[in-house]
Amino acid sequence: MSIQSRREWLFNAFYGLGGLTLAAKMPGGGVFATPALADALVDPLAPKPPHFTPKVKSVIWLHMDGAPSTLDLYDYKPELIKLAGQEVPPSFLQGLKTSTQGGVGKLFVSNRTWKQYGESGAWFSDLLPNLAQHADKIAFIKSSTTIGATHDISILKLNTGDTSPGRPSLGAWITYALGSANPDLPAYVVLYSGKKEPQGGSVNWSSGFLPAIYQGTAFRPGNSPILNLAHPELISTAEQRDDLDLLKRLNDHSASFHPEDTELQARLRSYELAYRMESTAPEAVDLSKEADATKKLYGLDEDITRDYGTNLLRARRLVERQVRFIQVVSGPIGEGDVQNWDAHRELEKNHGPHAAAVDKPIAGLLADLKQRGLLDTTLVVWTSEFGRTSYGQSGNGRDHNPWGYTQWLAGGGVKAGTAFGETDEIGLQSVGKKVDTYDLHATVLQLLGLDHLKTIYLRAGRAERPTVVYGEVVKDLLA
Amino acid sequence: MKKTLKNVALAAAIGLSAAASATADDKPSDKLVDKAGDADAKPQNQTPRLPYGWLPLVEPATPEVAQKDWVRTPIDAFILAKLEDKGLKPSPDVDRSAFIRRATLDAWGLIPTPEEVEAFVSDTGPDAYEKLVDRLLASPHYGERQARQWLDLARYADSAGFQTDQTRPDMWRYRDYVINAFNENKPYSRFIQEQLAGDELAPGNQEILVATGFLAGYPDNYNSRDLVQRKYQITTDITDTVGQAILGTTVGCARCHNHKTDKFSQKDYYSLQAFFANTSEVDGIPAAKGDVESEYDRQWAKWDEATKDIRFQQAVLIAPVKDKALKYHKERYLTDSRASIFKPQSEWTAFDRWINHRLDNVTTERDFAGYLQDAGDHKENPEYTPEAAERWQEYKKLSEELKKFDKLKPAKGSNTYTTMSELGHPDSPPTYILSGGNHEKPLDEVQPAFPVVLTDEKPVIEPTATSSGRRTALANWLVSPKNPLTARVYVNRIWNNYFAKGIVSTVSDFGKAGDKPTHPELLDYLASEFIKSEFDIKKLHRQILLSSVYRQSSAFRDDAHAADPDNKLLAVFPRKRMEAEEIRDSLLVAAGKLNDKVGGPSVFPPVPANLDAGALWPVSKDTQDHYRRSIYVFTRRSIPYPLLQPFDMASSQQVHSKRDVTTTPLQALTLLNNDFVFSLSQALAGRVIREAGNDQLAQLNRLYQILFARNPDETEKTILLAFLITHEKTIFEKANDGKFSVAIPIGLKGTQTFNPIEAAVFVDLVHAVVNSNDFTYRF
Repeated sequence: MSIQSRREWLFNAFYGLGGLTLAAKMPGGGVFATPALADALVDPLAPKPPHFTPKVKSVIWLHMDGAPSTLDLYDYKPELIKLAGQEVPPSFLQGLKTSTQGGVGKLFVSNRTWKQYGESGAWFSDLLPNLAQHADKIAFIKSSTTIGATHDISILKLNTGDTSPGRPSLGAWITYALGSANPDLPAYVVLYSGKKEPQGGSVNWSSGFLPAIYQGTAFRPGNSPILNLAHPELISTAEQRDDLDLLKRLNDHSASFHPEDTELQARLRSYELAYRMESTAPEAVDLSKEADATKKLYGLDEDITRDYGTNLLRARRLVERQVRFIQVVSGPIGEGDVQNWDAHRELEKNHGPHAAAVDKPIAGLLADLKQRGLLDTTLVVWTSEFGRTSYGQSGNGRDHNPWGYTQWLAGGGVKAGTAFGETDEIGLQSVGKKVDTYDLHATVLQLLGLDHLKTIYLRAGRAERPTVVYGEVVKDLLA
Repeated sequence: MKKTLKNVALAAAIGLSAAASATADDKPSDKLVDKAGDADAKPQNQTPRLPYGWLPLVEPATPEVAQKDWVRTPIDAFILAKLEDKGLKPSPDVDRSAFIRRATLDAWGLIPTPEEVEAFVSDTGPDAYEKLVDRLLASPHYGERQARQWLDLARYADSAGFQTDQTRPDMWRYRDYVINAFNENKPYSRFIQEQLAGDELAPGNQEILVATGFLAGYPDNYNSRDLVQRKYQITTDITDTVGQAILGTTVGCARCHNHKTDKFSQKDYYSLQAFFANTSEVDGIPAAKGDVESEYDRQWAKWDEATKDIRFQQAVLIAPVKDKALKYHKERYLTDSRASIFKPQSEWTAFDRWINHRLDNVTTERDFAGYLQDAGDHKENPEYTPEAAERWQEYKKLSEELKKFDKLKPAKGSNTYTTMSELGHPDSPPTYILSGGNHEKPLDEVQPAFPVVLTDEKPVIEPTATSSGRRTALANWLVSPKNPLTARVYVNRIWNNYFAKGIVSTVSDFGKAGDKPTHPELLDYLASEFIKSEFDIKKLHRQILLSSVYRQSSAFRDDAHAADPDNKLLAVFPRKRMEAEEIRDSLLVAAGKLNDKVGGPSVFPPVPANLDAGALWPVSKDTQDHYRRSIYVFTRRSIPYPLLQPFDMASSQQVHSKRDVTTTPLQALTLLNNDFVFSLSQALAGRVIREAGNDQLAQLNRLYQILFARNPDETEKTILLAFLITHEKTIFEKANDGKFSVAIPIGLKGTQTFNPIEAAVFVDLVHAVVNSNDFTYRF
């Protein structure tokens, strides 16, 4: 057969009848060609019903990396101001294992002014003037506690509930339990500031012992947010479309020998999803169509807020696209000592810019979500691995404090304009009912319609749950 | 569409049905009791008091079967007996080309070459299969493949993990030990003994000492300020790893509370921990000089020479404050760590010794500099003096200068090794039962002992002059022929690798909550044989590879599917998605690019530019390193290698018992768009043209021979030829954009002329075929 006649024969064989009937003509191929069947395939990310009616659909998890001093943001302590410069009265230190040589430093106050805001009268320092305007949207947890003396193990605990690596992160549990509401995007996205992933990063959005499909996908800065999202430089979109059509024909053919095999069919479908993701993911993070006023609201017009504001505006767009869990890690500002909130010294020089970097964007996010009617179905969690001590370190900084610090929730199902729990008079240790990371996780799951005790994964014969063997929903935080 | 049971099985395999079916603890206040652990332990009528896997091992009789000619090995009789009970026939033998692809992938983790396929297919001798299997088991690729599976269990990594995730420069030596052990066919018993107690068995023998890297592989954070907690976490990691990887038990659950289903008590658990109470990690022991070490020394000498002056000046600056700096550093540990740190050495207990050794092991020059910085940088700091400030400024300047020479440092390897040791002391720190697993709440002291539910044997501990002897005693019990678990657990793991499912499908849990065995007699037969053969691993592989059950076709059968929808009885050979490493390594083979060097320091192949991993992923300058097998790719705990990670590679944080199979768009993106993968498709296209010439059908045949060990069938040919025609138009239109940029095959012979458009079409065809299911699955 000459080349020419072979071509004619092929065209007659396949294209003479029109492209749509193509699959049906292929031996075995027709069985799997219709979309209805594709949906019936086993998909570990298929949406799954919650245990009860959820209050929110998405969570934005704002991790303040390096641990801010919530004593200088929300936890107003007149007694601390009074005692500043004095030794810590021993009664306050009872039961604490401290890491400072020859006794802890003297009680320390930074140069703050404090005011009450909103009908709730919540206290804010001058470091958060914009967020303060949203006082009545917030439910504070003022008696947060955790364990650990170093960032990495406490960050791990904040995200996974354990101080050693290996457990799934909260976002992974949620993705496992609820599946994805939008197959064209990852259900669990991580946004970070700066050029590099946060140090030790991926273990904090890992799926641990859950299948890898439930892990967070770190979105990269720039307009191609996922690794390998863009096709190779020399391949055009039209070319790739052809390739995928060929791939489908080959896979349909081989699947016809294994009609029982849903996994092979799922793989076929994954390529179509990937192809869609090539356009949906860049679109999801493309801010060019956002109004100038919106960009301004998030602080995209100023250097100090642009990086974090960009991430929060991206977060809102991901919420609109039904992404379940968006983990936003605050990042470096400039070089050297202002990498994160870890102000062992020169608290003023550290917290000034770090607070400024997040204050307006978070305020903007809350306002924007509210305005778009999304705040009722979204949960915003402001959180950190621990807080900072009431006593000073290196003269003008503060050390790590896992015993008492503030975090907050805002959004659907949250008892807005309230505060739960408290610290002692100098803001060092929580007193009364404490909220550990497990309790926070249980509460977040509750708002998503999940009972943390019934969110179970069987692993090596053990029924694992997100809160390990701990955790209690903080009902006082719920509306 | 019929909702097949296969769907349900697939869902169950990754735990999906669990959320719906499990009932759980609804008393949140009961904080320390894992009631959820009961969820899977439904009472069953015939459950013996002990779970199956814990009962003493008794070799079963080989069952009688009707279809005697199907029985090539005793394994087949056990399988066939169950099939005949169900009225099922086994599947016919798979054709030889599919068999060799299957066996080569399973034994080596690589696809065979067309020449290997041809030789086997045309071998008419009566022992063709035996020859093939013996060839596979004799290759170093066998050891590489088996080692990968063991390293999953050993939570192997080249870095420490946690926030800073430092490189652990010696760990590759443990990886090579494992590869060599499999290639030398070291008995499994000896393999376990060396990994648990190599330092006690063969003091001073580097090769054996390195084996204790199994214990030393825990994730670690060197900057932890709580050394007491660190000791507890390290011992916990080691105990749980041994419990799961070797014993196949979830004894680790008994750390916080008595085990809910398996009758392990907290006392059992901490008695196991006690075997490791005196175990410390020792790094930086000078290694025997080989090529790697000499090259490392040579490169290091360059850096040493170039930076001598700078470092001398730094030492001069540090010297007067060194004592102060060390004290300052030590004072920053937590209260109970400080109690050991500041105790005079003459008063040290075994516990203090551990803490102080740990302190030494993690204290570096940088910690001294830390003091200088604190004392010199900030006027408000109580340590501040103008003199210190000046000293710090000078020191900082020198540090910046020093950094410029970093590129002279050796890019890989080491001249040292790591081992576990008892630091020359036979006395161990005490071990306590800890209330709720909290190390600050010790209860009764315990002595090393085996779990009483497993055995009434008592450990025979013989201290040496330099070590407690505890780990040797534990290792001896683990590999004792009387131990009911060790052999069963290991042969079941091997079975799991061949048949995609273990005889006990919960491969690391042989307890009551684990799954029941599908063929308990077969498992006991294999375990008994394994022990009788003195733990001969290759013999075990050989028997499986030569069995009829392994030789069956994987073609779908209505009757088998109807009678046994989960294919538990193995009437059909189960197809399997290739593991992450098999996919990448086979691509390297197909592209003709595999660098099959065995062993040596880990390498860094290229990663997507927007990974931004910086200094944590310094891409290897030697491009030959990019084509090494995946087992040699650096395992950075915080940055899983992005080419493998989407394909369910092992997590290196804890024992990884079994590879999941998930199917995700991120996998598709990786194989479609990753530049490295695409360049391999280009190289494969070049190889095909090189080897098949310009005839299209010959090219398609060659491509399929390389990738699938067969020729394309008629339908495939038709599909592929149609693509060559239609795609030419797409490429032509693109090429007309004025830039004429198309992807062409790599590695054509200089004399070969080609039409660039046709060549680009062929590259795309190859890339699509590489992405097809037939490549990623082994049937």
